[in-house]
Amino acid sequence: MNPTLDLLYRLADDQLILGHRNSEWNGLGPILEEDIAFSSMAQDKLGHSLQLYSLLHALGEAEPDTVAFTRNAPQFHCCQLVELPIGEYDFSLTRHFLFDHAELLRFEALATSSYEPLAQVARKLRGELKYHALHANTWMKRLGTATDEAIERMQRSLDFTLPYALGIFEKTDAEAEIISSGLFVGEDELRGRWLESISKVLAQTALEVPDVLALTPVLGGRHGQHTEHLQPLLDEMAEVFRLDPTADW
Amino acid sequence: MIQSHDPRMNRLGLPDAPATAAAKGALDQFGTYEAFHQKKEGAPFVYVGPVHAPEADVAFLFAKEQYSRRFACTGLWVVPTAAITVTDYVGDQEWAYDSLPLLTNQQAAATAPPAGPRSGDDTAAEAAYAAGEEDYDIFHLKKRGKAHQHVGKVRASSPAQALQVAKAVFSDQRPVVNVWAARSADFLRSDDGDRDIWTTTPEKKYRDAISYKVQDRIERFKAETGTSQAD
Amino acid sequence: MYGSASTHDLPTTALTGLENEDPILLAEFEARINRGEKIEPGDWMPALYRKQLTRMIEQHAHSEIIGSLPEGTWITRAPGFRRKMAQMAKVQDEVGHAQLLYSAAETLGKTREEMLTDLINGKSKYSNVFNYPTPTWADSNVISWLIDAGAIVNQLANAKGSYGPYCRALDRICAEEAFHLKYGHDAVVHMATGTPIQRKMMQEALNRWWPAIMTFFGPSDKMSVHTEILMRWKVKMASNDECRNQFLDMYVPKILEIGLTLPDANLRKNEETGQWEFTEPDWEDFKRVINGDGPCNAERIAVRRAAEENGAWVRRALLTPKAQYVRPLA
Repeated sequence: MNPTLDLLYRLADDQLILGHRNSEWNGLGPILEEDIAFSSMAQDKLGHSLQLYSLLHALGEAEPDTVAFTRNAPQFHCCQLVELPIGEYDFSLTRHFLFDHAELLRFEALATSSYEPLAQVARKLRGELKYHALHANTWMKRLGTATDEAIERMQRSLDFTLPYALGIFEKTDAEAEIISSGLFVGEDELRGRWLESISKVLAQTALEVPDVLALTPVLGGRHGQHTEHLQPLLDEMAEVFRLDPTADW
Repeated sequence: MIQSHDPRMNRLGLPDAPATAAAKGALDQFGTYEAFHQKKEGAPFVYVGPVHAPEADVAFLFAKEQYSRRFACTGLWVVPTAAITVTDYVGDQEWAYDSLPLLTNQQAAATAPPAGPRSGDDTAAEAAYAAGEEDYDIFHLKKRGKAHQHVGKVRASSPAQALQVAKAVFSDQRPVVNVWAARSADFLRSDDGDRDIWTTTPEKKYRDAISYKVQDRIERFKAETGTSQAD
Repeated sequence: MYGSASTHDLPTTALTGLENEDPILLAEFEARINRGEKIEPGDWMPALYRKQLTRMIEQHAHSEIIGSLPEGTWITRAPGFRRKMAQMAKVQDEVGHAQLLYSAAETLGKTREEMLTDLINGKSKYSNVFNYPTPTWADSNVISWLIDAGAIVNQLANAKGSYGPYCRALDRICAEEAFHLKYGHDAVVHMATGTPIQRKMMQEALNRWWPAIMTFFGPSDKMSVHTEILMRWKVKMASNDECRNQFLDMYVPKILEIGLTLPDANLRKNEETGQWEFTEPDWEDFKRVINGDGPCNAERIAVRRAAEENGAWVRRALLTPKAQYVRPLA
């Protein structure tokens, strides 16, 4: 695939699927105010994906609605991390923390992308992503230093989630060209920055951080290989949309 | 298990007839913080409402989305409710400072203006701070049913004194239905560098009433089906 | 989204407790309301005022948080980006409204914890319409438009009431409801003027919801001593029938102009009296449902309870020893 499309699809699909997942918490959160905050960030992710699909549309791909609501799992380029069910709040927060750090750093790097439309989007989202990271860090630090129960839960979630989080940085065949053309600094570079960034926060908690780079990453998502959770998610998301493909909803 | 039309609920696996739930503890949703926002640069901070939160940093996260997710915002403050000293409420045409205990002449002289907040190289002020005085933020309610608004800071050694100083400093502001005073140190405030967390707020049109314009579609439908004649 | 402070479950006795109030304070309180001034949390107020307002604001708050569920049913299935993001924002707003209203009720002395405990133990009421299901996307749209429209009629009236914190909350809520109403209308219009599948789906949803909508404002008020006092104190701002009539005036034409029909052959406006005539809703059924025997009562409460229980560890973890509860100020 053309390197720009390849990059955009990965970014957009991650945002769509995680935004969708996080929206499942709306009305079910642990505290009213947190319910509201988490929903805002899920909406933001949907918004990001829409902007990215719109860039793809401008490059000749189908309409954002068509791309989002009619493809099946093998056509999706998201990492497997984002498709996992929401689980309990410790998992959803840990995923939010690990993903949003990568997201913040990715968009920071993309702000100077050689593909100017993408760079513009990245620059605009800076403040929004700053809040997401602030939210994630605050929660990680609070729960990671709280009761034994909370620390144990967060530790378990972290241990479970880290290998999936490494899947964020799975490379595709286009990687060399993406870097050489100045589209993006590349996944290895991003992973390094991410590790440094999450480590700083985790160091302020009682959580034990394993040797992250020695873990076996969960890969495949960027190549259309997904968990058993993605297709049911897509079927659910498109249930109404597919009732009448000719309709304007 | 309860079968729901909501797939999320079916994933939760709700039990059919749950037992009576235990009463929630008195602080199950924490203590409260009061939030103030600034609509645009230079505008006074205005009271928007409380949030329940365990700490100021969490209160800030919560207040940001509960009170500033929709409209333009350039700043946000949170302060523990318990840190605010409140005067009596008086009538809409009255002055709440009149309800404060009267001071002796000597006390009044000690609280006379100028006693503004910390500024530049004011040696008298430095001495006052060294002696234990602190800055207080003062908020006025101008009319019942409206919201408290920040009017400025004063320097004082206690909340009661802060109100007395404010009475002198803001003597030209009337009516004032109610006054809040809180130690400036008790606030958590966004700073100028944080302002970009609100940059994209105005662009989220999907939650704006004005982005839903459907009249054309209705007119077209009426024209096509001839219902306009039937009206 | 809240329909009415249903006064039909007020005590029918003429005793109001006012006999025990200090007559001078009571006179000052009433004079303030007569002058058009709001009552604020620091003011003296009669016990009946505090009790009735607490009950009403609490019911309103519960109606928001429970009211987020029928539309939340479609949050993962809203078709297309535009609807998906708006549906999320709307459900979020309902939770936000609950937060605002619980806060307003707290200023009267009942903690949020007590209110939520009462809710999940089935001790509190909320708008009865939310005990009905939303089996299709169109049902969700009907709520977004018409239930919100009904709620706005009621809330605009209540925003002119006498209690400051409730008015402040309602001002904010009404501003947000403007989006809900437009969004709901937009979605219904797209369906009603859309493909045959969409039109059928929308008409069926409207047929399902119409009887519930007609009960949204509650039964005709019985004019009791209580009702009179509550109207004098600007706790109750408009009668249930007035609200219903205003709603029908505003929305029946909008429903009919997009080719939908209403499942009540007796529905018509009497041009002489200006009042709408309709088949009297089944108030016995209404009573049965509000008392717990509706299609979704158990689910609504179970969901709230699950949310509370699943989030308990988070709240336990964050509670600091120095935490102290203070009523919100305003």
